[in-house]
Amino acid sequence: MTVPAQKPVRKLSMKQRYSALTHDLDWTPTYVTEEQVFPHTTFEGIKVHDWSKWDDPFRLTVEAYNKYQAEKDRRLYAVLDGFAQSQGQLGLTDARYMNAMKIFLQGIPIHEYDAHRNFAYLARYANGPGARFAALCQSLDELRHAQTEIHTLSHYNKHFDGMHDWHKWSDRVWYLSVPKSFFEDALTAGPFEWLIAIGFSFEYLLTNLLFVPFMSGAAFNGDLPTMTFGFSAQSDESRHMTLGLEAIKFMLEQDEDNLPIVQDWLDKWFWRGYRLISLVAGMMDYMLPKRVMSWKEAFELYFEEQMLGGLFKDLEYYGIKPPRHVDWAIGEKEILSHQVYWILYQYSHAAAFSTTIPDAEDQAWLEQAYPETWPVYRDTVWNKAQRVMDEGGRYFNPGLPQLCTVCQIPMGFTEPGDPLTQCQRQSVYEGERYDFCSDGCQWIFDREPVKYRQSWLPVHQIFQGNCGGPTLPDVAAWYGLQPGDGAEYLGSPDHQNWLAWHGQAPQEG
Amino acid sequence: MAVKAMYDYDWPSRSAAEFYGDDQLVHVWFRGNVFFVSAQTFRFPKAMPFGELVGLCKGFFAADPDFVPDAMDSANWKVDGQPITPDLDRSLEENGVGHKSLVEFTL
Amino acid sequence: MSVSAEPRPVGVDLQENEENRALVEAIEADNEDLNIRHMPGMIRLTKNGRLVINQASVEARLGRPWETHEFQLAIISYFGEFVEWDDDQIVIAWNH
Repeated sequence: MTVPAQKPVRKLSMKQRYSALTHDLDWTPTYVTEEQVFPHTTFEGIKVHDWSKWDDPFRLTVEAYNKYQAEKDRRLYAVLDGFAQSQGQLGLTDARYMNAMKIFLQGIPIHEYDAHRNFAYLARYANGPGARFAALCQSLDELRHAQTEIHTLSHYNKHFDGMHDWHKWSDRVWYLSVPKSFFEDALTAGPFEWLIAIGFSFEYLLTNLLFVPFMSGAAFNGDLPTMTFGFSAQSDESRHMTLGLEAIKFMLEQDEDNLPIVQDWLDKWFWRGYRLISLVAGMMDYMLPKRVMSWKEAFELYFEEQMLGGLFKDLEYYGIKPPRHVDWAIGEKEILSHQVYWILYQYSHAAAFSTTIPDAEDQAWLEQAYPETWPVYRDTVWNKAQRVMDEGGRYFNPGLPQLCTVCQIPMGFTEPGDPLTQCQRQSVYEGERYDFCSDGCQWIFDREPVKYRQSWLPVHQIFQGNCGGPTLPDVAAWYGLQPGDGAEYLGSPDHQNWLAWHGQAPQEG
Repeated sequence: MAVKAMYDYDWPSRSAAEFYGDDQLVHVWFRGNVFFVSAQTFRFPKAMPFGELVGLCKGFFAADPDFVPDAMDSANWKVDGQPITPDLDRSLEENGVGHKSLVEFTL
Repeated sequence: MSVSAEPRPVGVDLQENEENRALVEAIEADNEDLNIRHMPGMIRLTKNGRLVINQASVEARLGRPWETHEFQLAIISYFGEFVEWDDDQIVIAWNH
């Protein structure tokens, strides 16, 4: 027998309730000017004629928001409890999987918190009630993400190295200046640029590349808590994508003079975001013992197909073109992860994650995923690293890398079409030279040199004496690294513990 | 382009030459060798003879097991993209190497 | 302004679990030529043109009332736009 579903009696439709509880709560100030109440929304040059046109397709109210967010948290914490009680860490594919999670913990939650702060600011300083309410929800979401990510990964901190001082590391350690400088660049922009930077370019264009394959990868590697917080966060993310899309359409519809400004920001933030998530490429292809898809495949699916093939056709209507330098990004999809992981491999003695040479199984996977490019890197660098290993050594770069002034990544990216020649770009501004890894980063600097010449480049700061001293042990001590946090995975405490937990003999370190 | 801000936005470089006194930052790039994933940044005295840089390179790049230090003696050099024949006894500065210059060699 | 005539794909990624089985079945029933791809922990549904989620179809399979807001618990990501999100229906399509 089927029971017909009972419809609750409701006085107002979803549309009406949304309107009553957001837009209708707005008022027009009378004893101060609009400019006095909202002083930050004109200096960027974006012209807005009617803020009431900003709509939220989700039609959320405070009541609905709280109800569903509470349910998401209940589901997440049930999983976390079960995982901890059942000693779920023993069921991971391998302890080296945790290196990907270490980078995630060190690089992401603190910037979720940054996003929380700036959306809270927008929830106060955006002129229109639709924009303010959507920003308020996102602000609370971002705080939830920071908290749930930290909470989830705190379980692993009891069992693995490289997770104990992520907060301090974020401010100090070289590779973490990459996400830090990205988010601080966005935080120090105006509110509309922030919306294009984070709301649109990061959340809508690129975040799928960060979360979806990665969380599916967590599911594939026995990491139930990460999968659960990831998917839980992503369910909010679809609202954030909508806010980003709403923001760009709103700006473009309000005044045609906004088009060139928006296009410029889109060009800038696509490249900033793309360079940032290159770290994810290295993690996906090299740090997951079992992989769902390659970086290249994820890029094709989530960026080329969905964004270039779908979204940008839609934005064409407003005169928006695909981002500048997008062809460069497409050209890199075959080589990006190889180059990023090779950077991480040779500097992991100064990091809070460990690396190792891809084993036979990894190499077979890399060969089928990248039949053209993997053999190039295998033959030029990995076989040599293996030789060093076979002779009882471990190759770590003995010096410090040249860093890109904009993305702050060691300049290991290569010229288009030439996978063995690093790309070198240099601009001179007011008599001083600045270095870049690509045309994209150079273009960003040349637009706003006074902003980017302030880059806190870890290598330059070490040489200025600001990072604890001149030697590697000095800097590692200032970073707060402990033995076992970084360097080679094979023979590391994490590796030895893993073998012991599974009843296997320890290996020679 | 000026940075859009609500005030006259002007802040100095955090990597300016003045922070390094009599030294300067120099990027040394072993072109064609990706075993060293990028060019390397060093802090060198401006007055250091170029020959000393060559000597340091012989030691540094030996982290590559295939590297032949003596090959450095016949390396081809460029500074900031311009080919040079370095005068080994003269200083980096006199050889045209400035703060954050790119010193490039091929073997 | 040129607007492409060919229908472009839109889609959603949903968590693949027991909670969402009725939802996925409802989407399958209401959208012809739906493409389905399973990945660990998730299911990806794509379709050319418009993808529709009907409250009535979900409720019929779930056997209980289902608010369209509940879709937020299932969704991981999407591409396209929410051109409609009402009490009885959610529609994902491109606008132009």
